[in-house]
This record gives sequence, structure tokens and C-alpha cells, in this order.
Amino acid sequence: MSKKTVMVAMSGGVDSSVALIKVIESGYKAIGVTMKLWDYGNVGGNDDDNSCCGVEEINGAKLVCDQLGVPHYTIDFQNVFKEKVIDDFADEYLKGRTPNPCVRCNSYVKWDAFIDQANQLGADFIATGHYAQIGFYNNQPVIQQGVDPLKDQAYVLWGIPKESIARTLFPLGKFTKTQVREIAKEYNLETAEKPESMEICFVADNNYNRFLNNYVPDKMNSIGAGNILDNDDNVVGQHKGYTNYTIGQRKGIGLSYPDPRYVKSIDSKTNTITISRKNELYKKTCFVSNNNWLIDHPNLPLECYSQIRYNSKKVKSTILMEDNKFKVEFDEAQLAVTPGQSIVFYIKNILIGGGVIELL
Amino acid sequence: MNNLYFDIAATTPLDHDVSKLITEIQNTVFGNPSSIHQFGQKSRSLIEKARRQMAKSLNCKPSELIFTGGGSESNNLILKGFLKKGDHLITSSYEHPAIAKVAQELENHGVEVTYIKPNADGIIHVNDIESAIKKNTTLISIMYVNNELGCINPISNIIKMAKQNDIKIHTDAVQLIGKQPFDLNSLNVDFLSIAPHKYYGPKGIGALFIRSGNLLNSIFQGGGQEKNIRPGTENISGIVGMGLATEKAIKDVEKNSKKILELEELFIKKLNENNIRYKVNGKYRIPGILNITFPNILGQTLVMKLDLNGVAVSFGSACSSGTPKPSKVLLNLGLSDEEALRTIRISIGKFHTKNDINNLANILSKILHKECEKDLA
Repeated sequence: MSKKTVMVAMSGGVDSSVALIKVIESGYKAIGVTMKLWDYGNVGGNDDDNSCCGVEEINGAKLVCDQLGVPHYTIDFQNVFKEKVIDDFADEYLKGRTPNPCVRCNSYVKWDAFIDQANQLGADFIATGHYAQIGFYNNQPVIQQGVDPLKDQAYVLWGIPKESIARTLFPLGKFTKTQVREIAKEYNLETAEKPESMEICFVADNNYNRFLNNYVPDKMNSIGAGNILDNDDNVVGQHKGYTNYTIGQRKGIGLSYPDPRYVKSIDSKTNTITISRKNELYKKTCFVSNNNWLIDHPNLPLECYSQIRYNSKKVKSTILMEDNKFKVEFDEAQLAVTPGQSIVFYIKNILIGGGVIELL
Repeated sequence: MNNLYFDIAATTPLDHDVSKLITEIQNTVFGNPSSIHQFGQKSRSLIEKARRQMAKSLNCKPSELIFTGGGSESNNLILKGFLKKGDHLITSSYEHPAIAKVAQELENHGVEVTYIKPNADGIIHVNDIESAIKKNTTLISIMYVNNELGCINPISNIIKMAKQNDIKIHTDAVQLIGKQPFDLNSLNVDFLSIAPHKYYGPKGIGALFIRSGNLLNSIFQGGGQEKNIRPGTENISGIVGMGLATEKAIKDVEKNSKKILELEELFIKKLNENNIRYKVNGKYRIPGILNITFPNILGQTLVMKLDLNGVAVSFGSACSSGTPKPSKVLLNLGLSDEEALRTIRISIGKFHTKNDINNLANILSKILHKECEKDLA
């Protein structure tokens, strides 16, 4: 029998490089593919060495593949990435919401366009360097959290098509980041010591306002200063445009109170932000849009665990239907439940689905 | 052994004699050609011998050849060294980026540029150039052979027309040398760019022909080498290798192009025998460059699939990051986006055998038939 073929998504960083190593060690035939997702010419910022999609990273990925005797290709996904990820990111911010572009990239690029490319090349599986695992639940393949609690990335995977799980390998899920770096060192990969990039890839300087000013200048120019309201809708100050703020933000509001104030909500239509004390930022419930299940549709109400942002803790909660909408009730009220962010559901460490947080 | 590298138009392997010579020079000669001592003298004489060897092959004066760092550098040197603010340049819309991007850059510095589109056959028409001439037109730069299509432009006629209008003329001849007989004495061109890695010579070295009486401004400053047009300590082994590669390419041109044409015909015959749907783009082509649309499969996917089967071809022309995009050249020719995305370039060279072509055709047919089945399923 001929070996199964795996198309490995190669960013040029340490994680995808070690994922490739593990794929080869497992006896698969590997093909390395770097997705060209965006260009600095279109999103602004500086082309430094630490970001993906530059020539340095593409060549770095090619070098790793060559070292491991694997063919490497660069495939252009700029159109789908712009349409599904970058445009949505800008739109959501302009609506005063806080999007998760990595979730959309996984749903619309990696587990759609990329898997499509794998089909065309006749590859049996795709593999990525995500810290997550493939397991089984009710005899069906499911996504489980990675064993490294500091690196687990199941959160960003809730939106992928359920059917594609059977075609997916996550070679890093049972390793910690430290172990991954050690493997990279054993193989003498030059990326072994490369610092972690925590930013959104196309906003490498982490300055969202700079990005938005570059990307949608006309829309940004039309947003002027606006009112800051308190909980009772009294005007208590002026802000410099609502896109400068996120829910839960404390610093940079520019008002002084004896006890700190936080951004509680953002209204793009009236260009206002509302601030309040921390205790008023807690919410017991939220609604969920764009829901996706990664197991067979469960019976509701369902007691499970929810996670409301990347790197936040899983909390006990119940999913139910209300007015034809998915609603989540948290056992304990949660701080800064933010519209636009993903909410993700687990049974034990199994990712059962997720959606986008809505407050109405 | 199979030789399934069919990306000759991107670059060639080294000719064996050239390779031997380069290795020998690298191992034995190192003196700075500008030095007074005999180490320097040895290097200088090798360079000047290569210049004469090349001039003899191309039928020009040795003093008319400037050694550069490659085809792109030659193109930059002529456009930037010749054109000044207020000048008008006529070029084509399907030049190699080493002309196209330079022209764009010069536009930012006050040079006016007109880009002539090829016709549906892939050819730049003389009349189109002539009607674009303005009072301030000082230079025409049209590539001799288009790198993606292999189409040969009517350069002699373009030169004649340029001379009648008293306008200087440059041609990027990078894809021509070694594929068609060539003589600089009868071709009354003012400037011409050469890159030996397209004809079994080394990379990182090239030449710019500047006909006597024409002057270029220096865009590099340095130790004055190559008439100060391309200063810098000379790449001795590269120059010597280029000399021999050029001599062999010109000497063997008829033999090689006849053989390559036969192989090309064999390939087309095989495609027909295997009932493959295809369309060759462009007419008046140089032997060995085949730009082909296969409507059943995306070019990018086909190139990867062929590579996974040991066959190297290209999609568009090679670019530094290796990111494939639909070819502007093909869109210029009137192909739709969809057709352009389903087009690859197969280029055949002097080392290929009938057996190689049979293997190429078989592997390609197998992949394309599988795609057909998928479409039917």
C-alpha cells in the first residue's frame, strides 16, 4: 500500500516546522505548503522578520522543507483571505465589535480553500501546527484541547466544517511548547529560538487603529470624537473615536475617578462609549450567532463549559434556545462578555462547537 | 537517467565544458584584474579574451560589450543610464519586470512611458510603436523574445523604423541567444541585454551591448571598471564562463534549435495521440518555449502535481517568492482570467532526448486524464 499523503500548512515558524517533522516521523508522505495570505503593500506596517507571509518566512519554510526532504509550494490565498478575514475584521471594528480573525481564517481559509487545494493535489490529510488534538466522541472524530494549557488553541477552531475533522492532523496537540522547541533544536531548525508572535498576523505592530487608518481611511476619517457616557447616560467626557476602545479597557479613557472606570459598551451608531465600575461589567448571559457544532447537534438545554475569549478559563454554563436564538447562561457572571468575540463550548476537553457573542 | 527539468526558459543547467572551465578558473585564478602584478595580469587577460571571444561570436566590437551582473542589471543600466526627465520611452506591456518595473520607476522621475500591447498572436506590431512616437521620444525598448510565450518580435523592422525616426533602440535579447541565429553587425540595434544562464552559461553574470557612439550615464560609482558603467571587481570565472557559453550557443544554434523543434513537435504529437485538450498560446514562437492552456486543470495545481512526479515546468514566469499569480502577459494576449489560470509554460532544451519527451507526455497525460475522470464523476 502506498503511503498516505499529508499537506502541511507551513508558516515558516517553529510550530509548523515541528508539525512537519512529526508528520514525517509518523510515516506519512508530506508536502509543505505556505499560504500567501496578505501583503504589506495592502495592509500597511513594517515588513520585519517576525511576521508571516513575507519573503523571509516563505523562504524559511522552504528551507525547513528542504532540510527534511519534502517538496514545498507557496500558494496564493490573498483574495479569499482579504474577503473573508481582513474585510470582516475592519467591518466588525467599525461596528464597535471585537472580531476574532484567526477563527475566520481557520473556517474560511485553512479548512476551506486550503483543504480544497489538498483535494486537488490528491492529499489524504492536512496538518497544521495548532495546539489541539483529534480524538473520538460517540465514535466520531472530534477536536480536543491541546495538552499544553498555556498554548491550547482549540478556541480558534470552532468554526471549521465538522466533516473536515476526519481529514485533519494536529501533530503538536500532545506536546508542550517547551517540548516543541526541544524537538526543533534536536533537528537544528533555525526557527527553534524564534520568539512567539502573539499579534494578529496582518497587524504585526498590534496597532489596530494604525491598521484601520491604512486599510479603510475614508471610513476612519469620518469617525470623529464622541461622547463618553456613564451608566445613566450622562455625558461625562469626550473620546477620540470609538474604534480606539475595546470592552473591558481601563487605560487610556482619559477621565479620572477615585475608583477605576472601564469601557462597558461601544455604540458605533451614536459614536458613544459607556463607562462603568468593574462590577457592572459582569454578565450572566449572552446570545450566540453563527453557531457551528463539531459533534452531532446536541439536545438542549445542554450543560457544558464555555470559553468567552482566547486564553480565558472555561466556565460552567448552560446552552439553551430562547426566541429561536442560542442563549448561554453562565453559572457565574462573566467579566467583559464582548460582542464579536467567539464563544466556544466544551464537554470535558472536547470542543463541541461555538459561535459569535451577541448581547441582544 | 531521466531529465525531466522542462523549465529551460527560467534557467538552464550549465554546459559541461563551461562548468569545467569555470571550476578550473575558480581554482586557479584569483588576482584582481586591476592589479599591477602578474596575478592581476592573468585575470585581466582572461577577461579581455572572453570579451573578444564573445564579440566574435556576436559579431560586434569587443569594446561594445559591458559585463554586468545579469540580464536585469543590463536592463536597469540602459534605461536608467539613458533616459532623463522629460524623455519619452516606448516599450511593450509584456516586458520582463526588469524592464517593466524600471519603466514604472522612471515614470515617477518625470520620464514619459507608453506601453504597447501585443496583438492576439503575442507580437508587438511595428505600426503600433510608430504611431506612439512623440517629439520627445528618445528610446524604444522592446524584448526580442517574450519569456512566457516564446513569441519572436519583428525586431529588425522595429529597428529600421526607429532609425528612420532617429530614435535609439534597445532590446532585451535574454530569451533569444542560442535559440535562433543572431548577428549584431546586421542587426542595427543600439543597446542589447544578454544573460548567459538562459543558454547553459553561469548565473549572476550578464552583458550589455552598447553600439559605438552611444553613451550611457553611470548609475553606479566605483573603481571605474567596465567604463564606469558597471564598476566593481570583475567576476572572472563568470565572465570566462559566459564567453565560452556564448561561443558554443552561437556556434551550435542551428543544430540545437533543429533538435529542440523536433522534440517540441514530438511532444505535440504525443498530446494529440493521448487525446489531451490543449491550446498553444502565441504565434511566431522560438523553438522550445511552449505556453499551453490545459482547460481541465489549474496551472498552479498542474505544476505542483507534475513536480510531485519529478517533472519541472512553470506557471507564469519564475518570481522571487514563488507565489503564483495569473499571468498579465496572457491577459494582455486576450486570454480570460480563467484561461490564464489554466496555463503553464513548458520549455525544452538541448540536453533533452526523445525519451525525456515521451516521459513528460506520459506523466502529463496521466495527470490530465485523472482530472477528466474527476470532472465526470
